[in-house]
Amino acid sequence: MNRATLTLLTLLLVCALSLVTAQQKTRKLFVALERAQIQERKLNQEWLRLEFEQRNLSKSARIRDVARNQLRMSPITPDRTLYFKDGL
Amino acid sequence: MKPVGFSTSPNVVLRLPMWRSRLMLFLLFIAFVALVIRAFWIQGPGNGFYEAKAMKGVQREIEMRATRGKILDRNGQLIATSLEAKAVIAYTDNIPADLAPEKITQLAKLLEMSEVEIKKRLKDERNQVFLKRQVDPELAQQVRRLEIPGIGLNNEYRRHYPEGEAMAHVVGFTNVEDRGQEGIELSRDKELAAQPGKRRVVVDRLGRIVNDIAILQFPQNGQDLQLSIDSKIQYIAYKALKSAVEKHRAKAGGAVVLDVRTGEILALANWPSYNPNSRKGLTGEQLRNRVLTDTFEPGSTMKPFPVALALEQGKVQPETNMTIGHKLLVGPRPITDTHLHGMLTVSQVIQKSSNIGTAKLALQLEPREMWDLFAAVGFGQSPNIGFPGAVAGRLHPYQKWGQSDQARMSFGYGISTSLFQLARAYTIFARDGELVPATIVRSPDYKPGTRIITAKTAVEMRAMLETVTEQGGTAMSARADGFRVGGKTGTSHKVEGKGYAANKYRAFFVGLAPMSSPRIVVAVMVDEPTTGGHYGGQVAAPVFSTIVSETLRSLNITPDVSERTLVQAPATNASPGQLQKVALKQ
Repeated sequence: MNRATLTLLTLLLVCALSLVTAQQKTRKLFVALERAQIQERKLNQEWLRLEFEQRNLSKSARIRDVARNQLRMSPITPDRTLYFKDGL
Repeated sequence: MKPVGFSTSPNVVLRLPMWRSRLMLFLLFIAFVALVIRAFWIQGPGNGFYEAKAMKGVQREIEMRATRGKILDRNGQLIATSLEAKAVIAYTDNIPADLAPEKITQLAKLLEMSEVEIKKRLKDERNQVFLKRQVDPELAQQVRRLEIPGIGLNNEYRRHYPEGEAMAHVVGFTNVEDRGQEGIELSRDKELAAQPGKRRVVVDRLGRIVNDIAILQFPQNGQDLQLSIDSKIQYIAYKALKSAVEKHRAKAGGAVVLDVRTGEILALANWPSYNPNSRKGLTGEQLRNRVLTDTFEPGSTMKPFPVALALEQGKVQPETNMTIGHKLLVGPRPITDTHLHGMLTVSQVIQKSSNIGTAKLALQLEPREMWDLFAAVGFGQSPNIGFPGAVAGRLHPYQKWGQSDQARMSFGYGISTSLFQLARAYTIFARDGELVPATIVRSPDYKPGTRIITAKTAVEMRAMLETVTEQGGTAMSARADGFRVGGKTGTSHKVEGKGYAANKYRAFFVGLAPMSSPRIVVAVMVDEPTTGGHYGGQVAAPVFSTIVSETLRSLNITPDVSERTLVQAPATNASPGQLQKVALKQ
């Protein structure tokens, strides 16, 4: 065997091995991506749930109830409101 | 005996026949050939079968989930949203016969079902039955932790409606399959619906996805939809209506608030209502959207239209005096008023809601022209607002009108409309003579309308409508704190069988505010009030008043009642101290 053949053989082996490593890496990355996507979905759902919860806490019916009964507030009426006209 | 040497076995000396080894060689050769052919077959023409089998082991088709669109109000507040939920499924073939009874007890407790029911379902002859659908994900995890073989969880969605009863009729609801059944959920189902996708993947032996092969169908989330409804105003309207219906022990009620400039529906409330989040034992009564799907004779709320037409044609002026008298003989029964009026101006005919006065004006009009006006403001045609079940009402062709029909129609008998149609028709007074196209989807730009009457007539009509809420009018109780309002009361006998029920009424009020520059039209209807009066001015007008004052305040509209002194802010370079002094002087 001459030197050229040996070099080519070594190169071939290196290539073959790196192909295997690359494939392994792809798979690992893919699994990670997949996991991240699931996580994204979960977080998205969580966000939707929180948004819904926030809405539940901030709906008119509840705010009215809390303002009237817990905070003892009363609605503003025009007869006890001073209105400012634009000063020119 | 001849000695036998150690190395000379007699067997060696024996010569085997040559053919045996040849045969052996041949058989081996045949076997090899068979192997080669087989190998060739597997890798060549017969490959498909094995490939399919191998792929079946590592490939899966999995669903890609997509969410139904959200419904938002005009300010981006959530009205309907889909959250993930689980369906608890029993694969009956896999349920062990000797399943511990306490497991069933636990399962029943978690799912809030009776044990008997669960046992019945587990013994179902179908091999797959739903135990419960749309279960909260946390609860589903607890079910999973019970580790009952043959009990599985499926992904699905559950629709939530934070506004509950107040918004039920507008938004409607979906079924367990996430398809719209009522309201906007039904009429806009196509846009809102999600399209789940599908993809083919390679999995490893632990079931993890290691590679994508192809996306067979892209998942598509439903589009979000923003309505014109303002949930705050909706709540105001719903609450005011509900308390009026309860106070007057009425059967039902409806209210609608329209934005005059954009034609947007700001609120559309109904009573009785239901909770769209839990819809057990729903009745048709509860589901009915009275504002859009009920038609009725609008009674006196109709009067401004023939009067406007008479003004428009120059037949009368607002100050023209008319002799009213105690009855008007037209048709089979004389037309009467609830109060006796000798002489009234045209303006007072509206203010005091005189049937005789309106009928006399209407009889000066051509039937065709009256019909044209009614049709032009939308009576007799279903409103095109993209809502299921919006009705057209009834407007007979003018060729069939007799004198009596024409006279009675002028005060709202013999014609039927929905509350929504009535509210929209009133935009011609609010918009200086233009009818605005109505919509339930957010579109906050000013919309050009269709001119129906001249601005002059509209302004005159507004002045008349305002007198209704002033001293001597039929609806003093419609006045709202801080705002000038105008409108028209209505009280109609309900049709029962072939005639009118003697003591069953509908009370209405349709009006606009603030009168200095109208921003909203509000229409209120209360069906069969039984206590505390039955007139529109007594029953519906106070609801109008509450809705108007609270709505205008929530829209940050400056009060226009002139008798209140407004504080004049000082010139722009004034210090805060100066500002305070000015305020204190008032």
